[in-house]
Amino acid sequence: MSAGPYSARVRELFANPAHAGQLADAVGVLVEDQGVRIAFSAQLAAGRIDTLRFQAWGCPHVIAAAEAFCANYEGRITAELLDFSTSDLMQSLSVPVEKTGRILVIEDAVRSLAQELVRPSPKEH
Amino acid sequence: MAEQADLIYLDYAASTPVDPWVAEAMTALMTADGNYANPSSTHVAGRQSVEHIAHAAGQLGTLLNTDPLRLIWTSGATESDNLAILGGAHYRQKRGRHLITMRTEHKAVTDAFTELERQGYSVTWLNPEPSGLLDIAKLEEALRDDTQLVSIMHINNETGVVQDIAQIGAVCRERDILFHVDAAQSVGKLAIDLSALPVDLMSMTAHKVYGPKGIGALYIADRAGVHVDPLLFGGGQQRKLRPGTLPAQQIVGFGTAAAIAQSRMARDLKHLNAMRERLWSGIQDIPGISTNGAIECAFPGILNVSIEDIEGESLLLALEPLCVATGSACNSKSQEPSYVLRALGSSDVLAQSAIRFSFGRPTSASDIDIAIECYRSSVASLRNLAPGGVE
Repeated sequence: MSAGPYSARVRELFANPAHAGQLADAVGVLVEDQGVRIAFSAQLAAGRIDTLRFQAWGCPHVIAAAEAFCANYEGRITAELLDFSTSDLMQSLSVPVEKTGRILVIEDAVRSLAQELVRPSPKEH
Repeated sequence: MAEQADLIYLDYAASTPVDPWVAEAMTALMTADGNYANPSSTHVAGRQSVEHIAHAAGQLGTLLNTDPLRLIWTSGATESDNLAILGGAHYRQKRGRHLITMRTEHKAVTDAFTELERQGYSVTWLNPEPSGLLDIAKLEEALRDDTQLVSIMHINNETGVVQDIAQIGAVCRERDILFHVDAAQSVGKLAIDLSALPVDLMSMTAHKVYGPKGIGALYIADRAGVHVDPLLFGGGQQRKLRPGTLPAQQIVGFGTAAAIAQSRMARDLKHLNAMRERLWSGIQDIPGISTNGAIECAFPGILNVSIEDIEGESLLLALEPLCVATGSACNSKSQEPSYVLRALGSSDVLAQSAIRFSFGRPTSASDIDIAIECYRSSVASLRNLAPGGVE
């Protein structure tokens, strides 16, 4: 049977968004553009991203991409977020090119999250 | 992905399964042990094929209470719409070049009118009331001395709203204006008496009423000034209005489907009412849900709902294994919001969340209960997933 407009990976991630949710006592960002809303929240431990969660309002590709990002970046060091690019995600999920704009909202949200995470907390001043 | 057996098909407004009796009647005209002759042939087998076609025309004519000679076979409702609208406008162009239709018509109609605009005709596009119905006063206001054709569909394919074609037709008949009705969704489902209705041209198709795909018909009233110019040219079949070898097995399929539909129409309507009522009762308390088109004006085989704070494409995927539509099947691959729902005043976001459930003879109460559970859980999951959603 045809998978239609969604790859098997997108279907799997959309159906099982294990990283969906919002963390308490965490660094969080919300970005809205292109008819998409993405929120990420992250908790750090020992300089690494200990827990990542997302919330999303968007098409299945956006939700799958947000889930894939969270699954890939838990456990990594914060600086790696700065190198995040949606091109690998789009390729691995077979996102159609006409949805590039929507997926780039995830990149914007990741960059915002990275900036928030590296920003010195007020008590360090 | 769900296997075929796991699917819950609730898209009968897009297409219906071929009734087994229809398939049997068709098969008898396709294989070597049946009559597969070309009905244009003059030998015995060809003449028998003509008799099969005449019998089928009689069955469809009986369903619609009209002379079967008023029916022209086509490949489906799209071709019938094109033949009626383009052919009717061309035939009457010396009398005038103003035409009227609604923004909520099927693409087969709207695109035909757009083509006529390109050819220099003037088209008035009427908006529906919030209920989906046409305000007759607005139609009367739009009429001009040079108006030659009005095209209004019977049952809307997206919302199920049923237009009062008797009243609209009466307005047109008073002024000797051609009145075309796209009845793709209503033939075989609602009682239609063409001997009494002031309808000049009516488009229909078999596959919405348990007949085969690839066959439709156009009714052309026997009234002075009612005619269409052909769009195709060739062998001279069907009084040169629609030439081409007649597909006897398709036509017999349509005729058989029409006869079956007539014999069980009341039973079908009762069943569809029960299915729609069961579904709507099961989901109407979800916050932010609304019907598209007034439910009291709609054919019971269709229930179209929108819901606030839900992204439509994700809802459609979350609803699998339900087979439902976001817009009409003909343009459902587009992610653009439905132009029909926008014409009803729906916002883009709300229109994109629209789901059309449509029911058929095989639909069971169990199917509906699964649909209710699936819709409720999908909406809850997607709302939980959204920023600001309830955890």
